[in-house]
Amino acid sequence: MLAFIAGGFVLLSAVRVISGADEITSSGTLAVTLTATMPIALAGLGGLWAERAGVVNIGLEGMMIMGTLGAGYVTYHHGVLAGVLGAIAFGMIGGALHALATVIFGVDHIVSGVAINIIAAGIAGFLAEAWFTDLPGGGPTQSPSLADPGKINLSFLSEPASNLEDKHWFLVSDLASVVEMFTKNLSVLTLLGLALIVGSFFLLWRTRFGLRLRSCGEAPEAAESVGINVYRYKFTAVMISGGLAGLGGAYLALVSTSGFQVGQTQGRGYIGLAAMIFGNWRPTGMFMGSGLFGYTQALPFRDGTHSVHALLLVVAGLLVAVAVIQWLKGSRRNAIISVVLGAVFLTWYLTTDIVPADFTKMAPYVTTMLVLAFAAQRLRMPAADGRIYRKGSSG
Amino acid sequence: MTSAVAAGETAIELTGIGKRFPGVIANHDIDITIQAGTIHALVGENGAGKSTLMKILYGVQKPDDGTIKVNGAEVSFATPSDAIAHGLGMVFQHFMLADNLTVLENVVLGAESLHGIGDDARAEITRISEVYGFGLDPDELVESLGVGERQRVEILKVLFRGARIIILDEPTAVLVPHEVDALFENLRRLRDQGHTLIFISHKLDEVLAIADHITVIRRGTTVASVLPSETTSRGLAELMVGSELPSPSTEESTVTETVLLAVRDLEVTDEDGRQELAEISFDIHAGEIVGIAGVEGNGQTELVEAIIGMRHLSRGTVTMSGTDITHWTTRQRRESGIGYIPEDRHRHGLLLDSPLWENRILGHQSRPPSVVGPWLNLRGARADAERIIAEYDVRTPGVGTNARALSGGNQQKFIVGREMSGDPKILVASHPTRGVDVGAQAQIWSHIKAARKDGLAVLLISADLDELIGLSDSIRVLLRGRLVGRFDPQSVTPQELGSAMTGAGDDR
Repeated sequence: MLAFIAGGFVLLSAVRVISGADEITSSGTLAVTLTATMPIALAGLGGLWAERAGVVNIGLEGMMIMGTLGAGYVTYHHGVLAGVLGAIAFGMIGGALHALATVIFGVDHIVSGVAINIIAAGIAGFLAEAWFTDLPGGGPTQSPSLADPGKINLSFLSEPASNLEDKHWFLVSDLASVVEMFTKNLSVLTLLGLALIVGSFFLLWRTRFGLRLRSCGEAPEAAESVGINVYRYKFTAVMISGGLAGLGGAYLALVSTSGFQVGQTQGRGYIGLAAMIFGNWRPTGMFMGSGLFGYTQALPFRDGTHSVHALLLVVAGLLVAVAVIQWLKGSRRNAIISVVLGAVFLTWYLTTDIVPADFTKMAPYVTTMLVLAFAAQRLRMPAADGRIYRKGSSG
Repeated sequence: MTSAVAAGETAIELTGIGKRFPGVIANHDIDITIQAGTIHALVGENGAGKSTLMKILYGVQKPDDGTIKVNGAEVSFATPSDAIAHGLGMVFQHFMLADNLTVLENVVLGAESLHGIGDDARAEITRISEVYGFGLDPDELVESLGVGERQRVEILKVLFRGARIIILDEPTAVLVPHEVDALFENLRRLRDQGHTLIFISHKLDEVLAIADHITVIRRGTTVASVLPSETTSRGLAELMVGSELPSPSTEESTVTETVLLAVRDLEVTDEDGRQELAEISFDIHAGEIVGIAGVEGNGQTELVEAIIGMRHLSRGTVTMSGTDITHWTTRQRRESGIGYIPEDRHRHGLLLDSPLWENRILGHQSRPPSVVGPWLNLRGARADAERIIAEYDVRTPGVGTNARALSGGNQQKFIVGREMSGDPKILVASHPTRGVDVGAQAQIWSHIKAARKDGLAVLLISADLDELIGLSDSIRVLLRGRLVGRFDPQSVTPQELGSAMTGAGDDR
């Protein structure tokens, strides 16, 4: 997996040098990428918690909406720390509702999740109007401007890195951009999110609590037969899932923008779920998937017509790499298809200087689809994921 | 951990155990005494009350009457945890394992406080595995283990929790013959180390081979307690059902001259091009049963699937009544008169969560009485499911019952009834009586015999050598994907067949 990231990074760096589209690895682009990645990753992490315990949580989007609302209301009245906690609590309300429906009452997970998405959108619209209309700077669809949770600056690292980046050296400058991304204006919430992803890995895969929780997603009957209270673990997992989605909402309302807006989640809950599946229900893979989505969302805003044009070369390079791998594996037909597609992208790149502005908006999704299609994957979801479990099924 | 009890002492004493459910008396007046350090078998038909009794002993259910003594002290278990605390352990028939977790994770789950979930637990698992010769790697995923290994994981789970008395609920039901031998080796080793084993089964040969004592249960109560040296499997079977038994033997030959199914030079390869079957040629005549013997995994599944049209032949032909059907689809084959009893009734034979009448339509979705024109004929399917239930003695509340609610024997009888519907010319029967009790087995045999008399051609694949010898008109042995021997069931002995199956016999 590290080789995969490193390979992609070298490819990006090479393309930057060849095409001269400096924005594709600039610190500015990477900073926007990180900001776009975190809410997706937090939603994805929420999904991971729920699905590892065997509950499909398509209600992440709704829990995220609850989070944005909670962040907006509580931050305005009680400050930013309380606001973040409020967002988590609001998300947990959504999680509790989903847990009650799916775990206790045995409602189909998709039905419950979709219902929560619809209810949350409705509640957010209604309460936003009730809470924010009469506030100074607020309106029926948005809260007043909110305080920022704080940023970390390590200028003794970021300034040399910035100088290095401006030299535009192959690989060195690109790495400097990465250093700058983590040392300049790094939001406290970003740091918290990263810590939660690492912490979740340790909690779920290295502790007794995590083993029991995962066993509920793999084989609830087996878990019950050895005396584990399956309902309790599932309920806990879905609550945590809601809390994480709520935190993702707080990130959107406090870091990505500076206030609550109706509809600001824009389907990031679903994208988080997709990132989690892309990552094979593992935290590292989930974060990589989120990063991919985040990057392709960020790029159009950074000299989009040129950056996305350079991306054509990246796609061509990836397709050639896929072709080589497929050829070595012995599937010649796939290799030839990849080479032909790669040639098409290369021709496109060579015969044009920019891509149409309209296309830049579409590019993230096209790239994502291509990467998802070609990333040779053997996905393995938790065996009992999405299955309704009734107590007493074992024995 | 309970301290080891010297052999000869009483490990478990059940006196006057009774258990009633609404409308059913599951157990009454059960008296069993189990010596420590022995293998004690509990035999009885499906539904005789073995499982209920074991659930009572393991604390899943509370008895209405009677007393349980463990190591001489009277006990009362409210939950399985109480039973575990008294040194009891249970190995369920359906494994309680998570495929995507490692052996280590599965074993420590729920018992993390004993040795943690890290290196201490790993060391303990390795130690137990070595002491009893289980050969398990703690860090392997359960998914990649075979059935026999999974069962050893289950036993290891029980030992890890310190059990000295282990209940095994039909442990051989899911195993192939050589895995059974390996299991018995493990069980003897456990006994020799001082463990007490309770072995529940309805496979009498196995019980006679492994048990030190046998208790027979019939209709919810203990009817006899015997020593294996003093009885035979036939004697045990009669104790189990309480009457004389039919044997599988077919009385007289009904083989005719008409070739119904002809297989010539059939070859099947897997995805990687390895040969799974090669040079398979045989004929089946009307009124003939051809038995295929072989250790499982020698190509039986592939042969059946090739004939039924589920697998692509790399060469060779399959001919039915003179018509080449090699390239026909499975549906065409079934419509033209091939019935198929699949080896795994849960995966291939039934939709477990559908009612019986819907299961009646399966495989007959293009033929009356299940269809009228382009529509399904639900009334016809229901009526015909009723007919099968009556003719084949399927014990079920009705045609609307889900297949899952039936016992294995009744599910199998329903499948046999369905496959015999529409008067097939050829029946491919893969392990038709696997995992069913002797009563249902006898009924299925008599149906196959009756159909044979009417001119049915049967390809019978079975791991039960007595069944093969009793039913077949001719027996072929399949070894490593090739037919290596041909035997006359009138003269062959199970021992001769067994050695041919393992490649020790002469190639005739």
